[in-house]
Amino acid sequence: MLVRFWGTRGSLPVAPTADAIQKKIARALLAAGGRRFADVREAEKFVESELSFAAGGTYGGATPCVELEAGTESYFICDMGSGLRQFGLNSMRRNTAGHPKTYNFFLSHLHWDHIMGFPFFVPAFDPEAVIRIHAGHPDAETALRRQQEEISFPVPFDWLRASFEFVTLTTGQMHEVDGVTVETKLQHHSHGSYGYRFTSADGKAVIYSTDSEHKVEKMAAEAAFIHFFREADLVICDTMYSLADSVSMKEDWGHSSNIVAVDLCHEAKARTLALFHHEPTYDDEDIERMHQETVRYEELTRDGDPLRVICAYDGLEVRL
Amino acid sequence: MNYSLGSREGAIIVAVTGRVDESSWVAFGIGLGEAIEKARETGVDCVVIDLAGLEYMSSRGLRVLTVARRDGEEAGVTIALASPNEVMREILSISRYDKLFTISETVEAAR
Repeated sequence: MLVRFWGTRGSLPVAPTADAIQKKIARALLAAGGRRFADVREAEKFVESELSFAAGGTYGGATPCVELEAGTESYFICDMGSGLRQFGLNSMRRNTAGHPKTYNFFLSHLHWDHIMGFPFFVPAFDPEAVIRIHAGHPDAETALRRQQEEISFPVPFDWLRASFEFVTLTTGQMHEVDGVTVETKLQHHSHGSYGYRFTSADGKAVIYSTDSEHKVEKMAAEAAFIHFFREADLVICDTMYSLADSVSMKEDWGHSSNIVAVDLCHEAKARTLALFHHEPTYDDEDIERMHQETVRYEELTRDGDPLRVICAYDGLEVRL
Repeated sequence: MNYSLGSREGAIIVAVTGRVDESSWVAFGIGLGEAIEKARETGVDCVVIDLAGLEYMSSRGLRVLTVARRDGEEAGVTIALASPNEVMREILSISRYDKLFTISETVEAAR
């Protein structure tokens, strides 16, 4: 299984400013200390090996969109955030090379940041494309049509030429979708959200659990999440806030924290946790610090096998 | 995890030892509930949680602290933390709970 992150930011797309880029370049020049590089490749090697990720790169700013390559002939995509535009263009190149034009979408929920990429999903205009939209919400079609009404967008949904199918998934049932087993889990979020557990034919399990608040007064209910995450190879988890924020000023905003994610993964004996749905006000240094702190918290509280903690960024690929 | 209740002038002391994690957070919550109740009954407005013997606390324990703080607010009782070890100091910092609770070097200094 290959997991490809096209959008990892929460709530609102962000882009680095000119000032932020200037600071990165200035710091890189200082770190280079007057060194000369023979060519661009050698300079890139310096950036990769000697600068931190935040100094030499960026976590990106597209809203949630994650692709799973599960060894099947169809596409599997979680959410339609602004990262979907890049995925759509990339998939068209793959289609030209012979990839079947079948797209299986799985929506966590219908809030704007998770569907805003769909009006820019170019394969929707391809009459040969088949687009199946799976959701726990029965009103998924209403949400997608509504955002393309004239008051919001110039191209109405009915102008799209692909074949569409909307599938409402039932929690507690195993669903077989093109050779992948899919389970859903209702999560606490405004209008509800759904987590997904994908198991490929070779037994690899990936959890997609975003926009999920774990309420302080309902900790006993987390047993169901631990079961849902059980022994997963990768858990992609909403880690938008610090624990303190999630139980104080940002309580009931529908999101979780990095350290609750670690605890759930520890208890579930998951192998890798991907920090996801990054706070849009965080810059790259803030996200990198949060990643380092989460790695440290995992070490401090570990009582079994190590949990690998990675930080998702736009463009990250994880092979399981 | 074990806990014991004590008191000093103006405060109920909860001394906690071991780990507070997925297997012990419920018992820890019961202990804090007892301490708040005892404070209310004796007319004391502060519960100090003595962390000197605590190995570490996961998010489970931290969230129990939040529940206790809310219960304490209803009873007019403040919850304060004292004497965390280095591991616990790191966890309080990573979780940003050091911004939610007053943390003192010693039980005597806690208020």
